[in-house]
Amino acid sequence: MSSDYSNIKDSAPIEHRFNPYSDNGGTILGIAGEDFAVLAGDTRHTTGYSINSRYEPKVFDVGDNIIMSANGFSADGNSLITNFKTNLQWYHFNNNEEKLKISSAARLIQHLLYGKRFFPYYVHTIIAGLDENGKGAVYSFDPVGSYEREQCRAGGAAASLIMPFLDNQVNFKNQANQPLRYLSLNEVLSLVKDAFSSATERHIHVGDYLEILIVTKEGVRTELYPLKRD
Amino acid sequence: MAGLSFENYQRNQFLSSKGYAVPKATSTGTTIVGCKFNGGVVIAADTRATAGPIVADKNCEKLHRIAPHIWCAGAGTAADTEMVTQLISSNIELHSLYTNREPRVCTALTLLKQHLFKYSGHIGAYLIVAGTDPTGSHLFSIHAHGSTDIGYYQTLGSGSLAAMSVFESRWKLDLTKEEAMKLCSDAIQAGIWNDLGSGSNVDLCVMEAGKDAVLHRNYLTPNVRSQKANNYIFNRGATVVLKEKTIYSKLELVSEEVIISTPEERPEAMEVDA
Amino acid sequence: MSQDPSSINGGSAVAMIGKDCLAIACDLRLGSQSLGVSNDFEKIFNYGPNVFLALCGLGTDVITLNEVFRYKTNLYKYKEERTIEPETFANLVSSSLYERRFGPYFVSPIVGGINSKTGKPFICSFDLIGCIDFTKDFAVAGTATDQLYGMCESLYEPNLEPEDLFETISQALLNAVDRDALSGWGAVVYLITKDKVVKRLLKTRQD
Repeated sequence: MSSDYSNIKDSAPIEHRFNPYSDNGGTILGIAGEDFAVLAGDTRHTTGYSINSRYEPKVFDVGDNIIMSANGFSADGNSLITNFKTNLQWYHFNNNEEKLKISSAARLIQHLLYGKRFFPYYVHTIIAGLDENGKGAVYSFDPVGSYEREQCRAGGAAASLIMPFLDNQVNFKNQANQPLRYLSLNEVLSLVKDAFSSATERHIHVGDYLEILIVTKEGVRTELYPLKRD
Repeated sequence: MAGLSFENYQRNQFLSSKGYAVPKATSTGTTIVGCKFNGGVVIAADTRATAGPIVADKNCEKLHRIAPHIWCAGAGTAADTEMVTQLISSNIELHSLYTNREPRVCTALTLLKQHLFKYSGHIGAYLIVAGTDPTGSHLFSIHAHGSTDIGYYQTLGSGSLAAMSVFESRWKLDLTKEEAMKLCSDAIQAGIWNDLGSGSNVDLCVMEAGKDAVLHRNYLTPNVRSQKANNYIFNRGATVVLKEKTIYSKLELVSEEVIISTPEERPEAMEVDA
Repeated sequence: MSQDPSSINGGSAVAMIGKDCLAIACDLRLGSQSLGVSNDFEKIFNYGPNVFLALCGLGTDVITLNEVFRYKTNLYKYKEERTIEPETFANLVSSSLYERRFGPYFVSPIVGGINSKTGKPFICSFDLIGCIDFTKDFAVAGTATDQLYGMCESLYEPNLEPEDLFETISQALLNAVDRDALSGWGAVVYLITKDKVVKRLLKTRQD
């Protein structure tokens, strides 16, 4: 058994080091429907216990009917999205304005992220759009580019609060005799609103406004709803 | 405190020396304020309790009664503010019975600061103590290490800077009761809206010389959740029950075991990407 | 893996209040980090017909505290010639935990029960040093705390009938523990009404 003073360390030099990362809170959520996809995010931007902005959008229409959000360290998120847009523009120049498929956009993002494997973008990235068959598609990425196509995904500060709710209400997990089916746009929108209002109740980094971007074959449209501000 | 036991202390010390972190207690990342006015004093608090970034309690009570005319607002470690307040409340009551006098605010202040100093900051209680007694009305603040401050207005907690900005811009001498209540609730609201550690409602307590203290529990409720878009009542039978057992019944039906036949099950794959 | 005593063994619990009833539920897993050890580790204990206690956290402390409270509630019964009420028991839990302020038990308890005098359902939760969180809707604890907060906050409705409350609490727990690597491996629900307590074993994923 160690003595009472076992945890007292001998004085050692203290190393001070610049920390290039910070956490700007916020949460994002993407759901794919049969012929649409949504990507929603709150607009609160924080550091620590402070609110930097109540309206700082982080879900963007990046062109070619693709919407994108990179949640976590917002400087990295903005940088990733800018880089993606630049790459998309080059793709258009080089390929006679050909539209980028969402599956190709996902592969591009993997390379953008993995390109910084040893100094990663500190973000959880989600993109949404329609695939070649017009079906809704959501792709989610870890900070270094591992990705997967999914029906739904929550990312960011309150991901752990929202994700089990989505399993239950979108994929009907743990519900007996409940066959899988596509949800309508209205069903999805009300699920998104409830997911965010619940996350706002219990997570201090989520709140202020909910911005939902919706992709259909007609294009991208935006809706804005208030969330609690405390 | 007579009752504290240090039995597990060595075990936990050993654990932490092996690199196990000590779990965090719920702390009231808080805004608390107090303000004197002509003929009394008012204290106020928000009602959010947090555990890290998660809201543990949306409507907790941070205003504690030490004596009928002496109240206290607490920030810091939630259990410590509650327990230290209860202990000193008991001692104050015994003292006032023994001396056959109304308890004084400065007695509570001294008891609290000496107790906290003894524990050299390990009891994480940050308090605003206020009240009325035969010598007048008083307002103090105490820090966990035992230091105390006196002033016409006080703020403490993670929202103290937001709250102090209200006092520093609007406080004046000779406030009326209503003005002081408004100033305090506005100061708390500054914390509620601008500090993430504070939120939900405003609690307020007015102590006026020669009158009973009045606690306004949920004086303001500016954060009521609006109606959800859906309601999520499940079909009965949505959850599959393997076994049911009545473990207690007034109808003397104790310990009957009913094995429910499993309803038609959906075959469950290990992990399907729906 | 996480170096925190309260998440070595894993496990979660939740309690909810309905119309003149309440439910309290827990998973059955006991592990050692990522290794599952037991699928029969119940975390809910009762002290009399109307007082239930869920204990999540370090397995050894869960077992020890159950014995401590069994001892204390038995002495209470001898002295008072009645069983303890949930509100009284909550204060007993609080002071027992705060007694160990500087050497705490690594647990997060939930107390649930129906007051035998008033017939009112009561639940509350605690942190590891005994700060009580009184609540009129739901209380959560354990390694799936975040997931449970998300589920409860969105699924919960006030004044549910016992059978509807059972579905809500079960779905909340099941879907929450499926998103936590340290919880799951079976679940039990206690449905408590004024004159009946039913215990149900749920069908859950076994991975």
